[in-house]
Amino acid sequence: MPRVIIVLSLLLAAARAWAAPVTFNTALPVAKGNWVWREQLVARGRDDDTAFPDREARVLALSSVLGYGLSERFTLFGVLPYFGEKELRLSTGDGRITRGTAGPGDATLLVRYTAFQWNGQGRTLRVAPLAGVIAPTGDDGDRDRLGRLPRPLQPGAGSWGGLAGVVATYQTLGWQVDGQLAYRRQGTNEGFRPSTESHLDLSFQYRLLPRELGGGVPGFLYGVIESNLVHTDSDRLNGADLADTGGTQWFLTPGLQYVTRRWVLEAAVQLPVQQNMHAGALRDNYIAHVGFRVNF
Amino acid sequence: MLRKTLMVGALVTALAGAAVAGAQRYALQVKGLACPFCAYGIEKQLKKLDAVDAVRIDIGQGHVVVTAREGDSLSEAQLKQAVEDAGFTLSGIEELGDQD
Repeated sequence: MPRVIIVLSLLLAAARAWAAPVTFNTALPVAKGNWVWREQLVARGRDDDTAFPDREARVLALSSVLGYGLSERFTLFGVLPYFGEKELRLSTGDGRITRGTAGPGDATLLVRYTAFQWNGQGRTLRVAPLAGVIAPTGDDGDRDRLGRLPRPLQPGAGSWGGLAGVVATYQTLGWQVDGQLAYRRQGTNEGFRPSTESHLDLSFQYRLLPRELGGGVPGFLYGVIESNLVHTDSDRLNGADLADTGGTQWFLTPGLQYVTRRWVLEAAVQLPVQQNMHAGALRDNYIAHVGFRVNF
Repeated sequence: MLRKTLMVGALVTALAGAAVAGAQRYALQVKGLACPFCAYGIEKQLKKLDAVDAVRIDIGQGHVVVTAREGDSLSEAQLKQAVEDAGFTLSGIEELGDQD
């Protein structure tokens, strides 16, 4: 269903602020007292590869993030997604219909702690666990002309949730590697519990320009390639799994980033390589990310 | 008239040069600095210090040159704390005095 994966992807992508993975976190620091403001537009297309009901799901979301360096090791992030479009098209006995809504989603408060750091000349290694709380700020009772929308189409889960993970980063002046393990679980509301998500992500970023470093602080252009392995359990309704939800997916994500002292521009697209979905579950065609970050 | 204007201009330039030459400067060697976005974190922490007038970073070498305000000076402890607050490690510091 449309809700899965994008929730954790939005949240995890939120807490990075450097030359960094596009689809998940980094362990690099936000300086004490510094702020990072970030906006990322995410467009996602899915379908179920069936002749009937031939479902197509589209999500267009804007993730707004404010990060603050509490200390050299603790960073606090607030995340609020806004769904500009969250809709499902499917065939019925009465023809093809579209159901959907828009509005703010569930807000998240995320804390990251740099548990280990080693700094060398022009390089750094960091390991940072992170944990967050998801508050049910998004609507979970939106309706359209056909009545109340199915739960996975609602902007909010209607329940509290949490996420936890650990991220490691090794960064040099020429390239960077990041790896992350993360897990999100949502509570139950009116008998419905959204699927849990588990992520294993890897990212490699390579400085394309400038080829040679002179003096000062020039802007860096990075080429990015990421691997995202995602497992989602089934959504549950009244204690039973919903059959057409959940599965395991592997994405490769090429992208570009331009990084300066004060701002970052980035774009990447997650392309599915392997999808072992439960019977009837929607399959991704793409997840595109475009965004910017500002350091202040 | 033209000669007088040129003389005044030369005097102002010389005074400005003397003012710059009189400011204390410090060369910091910073470990862990590996991307432009991180460089801003160090710059901002250092500029929070009242005595700091200017910060110049050479990211390729991990060098940070801090210029103090005229008549002010900075301690190693202040500079070390600012670099650590940005999440990096100060591995060396050298007083450059008031030379350019």
